[in-house]
Amino acid sequence: MAEDLNWAIGGEAGDGIDSTGKIFAQALSRAGRHVFTSKDFASRIRGGYTAYKIRTSVDEVQSVVDRLDILVALTQRTIDENLDELHEGSAVIYDGERSWDAEIPEHVKGVDVPLKSIAEDAGGSIMRNTVALGAACEIVDFDVEYLDEALEKRFGGKGTKIVDNNKEAARLGQEYVQENYDVDHLGYDLETTDSDYVLLNGDEAIGMGAIAAGCRFYAGYPITPATDVMTYLTGRLEEFGGHVVQAEDELSAINMALGAARGGARSMTATSGPGIDLMAETFGLVATSETPLVIVDVMRSGPSTGMPTKQEQGDLNMTLYGGHGEIPRFVVAPTTISECFWKTVEAFNFAEQYQTPVYVVADLSLAVTEQTFPPEAFDMDEVEIDRGKLVDEDEIDEWLDAQGRFRAHAVTEDGVSPRAVPGTTDGAHMSTGLEHDELGRRTEEQDERVQQVDKRNRKVETAKEEEDWDYREFGNSDAENLVISWGSNEGALVEALDYLEDEGVDVRVISVPYIFPRPDLSEEVEAADDVIVAECNATGQFADLIEHDVLTRVKRINKYTGVRFKADELAEEITTKLAEEVPA
Amino acid sequence: MSSDVRFTDFKSDKQPTWCPGCGDFGTMNGMMKALAETGNDPDNTFVVAGIGCSGKIGTYMHSYALHGVHGRALPVGTGVKMARPDIEVMVAGGDGDGYSIGAGHFVHAVRRNVDMSYIVMDNRIYGLTKGQASPTSRSDFETSTTPEGPKQPPVNPLALALASGATFIAQSFASDALRHQEIVQEAIEHDGFGFVNVFSPCVTFNDVDTYDYFRDSLVDLQEEEDHDANDYEAAKKVILDSEKEYQGVMYQNENSVPYHEQHGVTEDMSEIPDGAPEDAMDLVREFY
Repeated sequence: MAEDLNWAIGGEAGDGIDSTGKIFAQALSRAGRHVFTSKDFASRIRGGYTAYKIRTSVDEVQSVVDRLDILVALTQRTIDENLDELHEGSAVIYDGERSWDAEIPEHVKGVDVPLKSIAEDAGGSIMRNTVALGAACEIVDFDVEYLDEALEKRFGGKGTKIVDNNKEAARLGQEYVQENYDVDHLGYDLETTDSDYVLLNGDEAIGMGAIAAGCRFYAGYPITPATDVMTYLTGRLEEFGGHVVQAEDELSAINMALGAARGGARSMTATSGPGIDLMAETFGLVATSETPLVIVDVMRSGPSTGMPTKQEQGDLNMTLYGGHGEIPRFVVAPTTISECFWKTVEAFNFAEQYQTPVYVVADLSLAVTEQTFPPEAFDMDEVEIDRGKLVDEDEIDEWLDAQGRFRAHAVTEDGVSPRAVPGTTDGAHMSTGLEHDELGRRTEEQDERVQQVDKRNRKVETAKEEEDWDYREFGNSDAENLVISWGSNEGALVEALDYLEDEGVDVRVISVPYIFPRPDLSEEVEAADDVIVAECNATGQFADLIEHDVLTRVKRINKYTGVRFKADELAEEITTKLAEEVPA
Repeated sequence: MSSDVRFTDFKSDKQPTWCPGCGDFGTMNGMMKALAETGNDPDNTFVVAGIGCSGKIGTYMHSYALHGVHGRALPVGTGVKMARPDIEVMVAGGDGDGYSIGAGHFVHAVRRNVDMSYIVMDNRIYGLTKGQASPTSRSDFETSTTPEGPKQPPVNPLALALASGATFIAQSFASDALRHQEIVQEAIEHDGFGFVNVFSPCVTFNDVDTYDYFRDSLVDLQEEEDHDANDYEAAKKVILDSEKEYQGVMYQNENSVPYHEQHGVTEDMSEIPDGAPEDAMDLVREFY
């Protein structure tokens, strides 16, 4: 990989850290550089340390690393929090005129820029972050003009004067550093390319995937880190004839989404752990009434309120097993931000083809990270829509019984019944969470019960046979060391391969986007000498599944600090783990 | 939609298992007649039923229907109506379903003013679980779980609706077939959320709020009194009057603007293209 730069701005929540970081990320993207962002934040609007971090290279970047090159520090805590990541050659931009006495580590270059005073010269102290951006541009030899488009995007709605003032603030910041510091010896020189990239996060990719897939109805209740899905869809879904509703709670959200699906709309809700608990109440109804529904769980650290703004992959068992009784379902788990888009599209097709609830399980790291992609990564021409056995008035006759009643839960070979939406002549029928006969009417008759249970479960069996449940593979496929993972860990693993290669460690990486049904990894595990399952939880929920599938013990790497895997750190862990004995 | 729809078209061939004499028979008959009378037919009607004795109504009626989770019938109805403004949506449930486990949804459904009707079969008791206090049970009503009565005031669902910004509030009595049907019909025709609390006596577990009790005590706001339902202050007065039991339309906001008009939700959402929307690449370009 070409040389990367790791940049961050940090301060108090409410300091505009996020929007400032985003402006820099967009500027880098406009300059044809790849960007991968991450956030350290607390779940409050003001107060508390927060930081926006950017890793950028002309090559694709898909992970964070344990290294920080340029830090814009608005508070001392920002420096303290990142002490371990600063190195010889790092620069810290700070405002020496502010009340705090910045303690800059000796090995790091301090760049004291009077951010506030310069901002005031440009038209207002509120623009001090923009001054810092200009200063950062100078340090890394990045043309300050690249900021312009991003500043227009951010402040365009507030009038040209504000935009112009910000452009001026950036230039003054850049000039100040140019005049007062010799930064050449830091050696940064950001190359640019002609590539056009788009920059988006996983929640936005999920929302965009939903629209592409023909989703028309979304109901949700605000919850970190899933709220961005709703924010993205609000206003946009309406442009396509759909609607977004903010429900009074998650119980209502899933029931509204269910109602819209019964009405025939492609329908979705998104939430995080605590909301999934509430939605579990209705999950079984979705399955037994055979309603197509997409439910997104953007996982965060649990249990209970846990660490709401921290990473964790702890809901795997909940999405696999949650809900009383035995509930057929699909669980897909995108492994990258672009896959958040494609897996959402796929989820809508699964939902309608098999008339089941489909979980899309993402995690906080996907949700809050922005990453660059070429626009073709979201080629809308590739989007396929399959509505399954939706019957219209011409087709309905073959599904009526002798009395002319629609067999909405007809027992079929593949387990999938015909589906008629309201308004279809002769399609009127009842569906219920009670066990029911083919017509959807309550029954406790033993044969009918068994037939309906089998039929619903058969849909999953059919899907297992009919669909591709492929995994994604990286590294050397003949390597004796196999690392298996799921969800957002893929990026860090792929980059870890570079570090491992340098160490002479040969590794095959398998990244699994389907949790249920899922690929059978028996042969792959068999072929490897050493197998490690890496995931962001304490108990190894996915490792348990693999062990269950292949009937052998695997080694485990579990991270549950609330922070995602970093490529360099993961490479080290893998090396250590490979040296250990296989558990008994 | 055919013009010769009869109310029996809304009847399924399943025989109700309600106790003989249950108020829900009359309640359901009135609902079916009102639906037929307002020009609907089973194929363009969606009935959402809650859980409880009342919830069985989805099975006994013939239409598109969902019998859902306890207390969540209103959100389901809301979703159906938003996705399909062309479909007549009627939500039915009981006092436990609507005012206890589903009370939160009731408040917000009222606020949203979605153009659908909500018929609550209020028998002031939990019948299906064999006689426990409900949110509308009297404070001294003795049951197996409240041997000395709940000792808390019953919910006044009409007042709850009024406080939540309702645009149509009515009450009827299952046994007064004609008036009940008329009132439900008005709820269906109302531009917005048409809420009807129906006194639907439980002959098995409630020996206080009986047919005789309602027959003796009910005052009809339109037929016996000169109540003006468009008068908010007058509505407030009858709704908060704890001395009397009323039937009729308590309140109707003539200026009600239903949800779909407020939010411009008018399209049939069941129809979508075969692939991504034509201009979908614009969504990607937004992220430049």
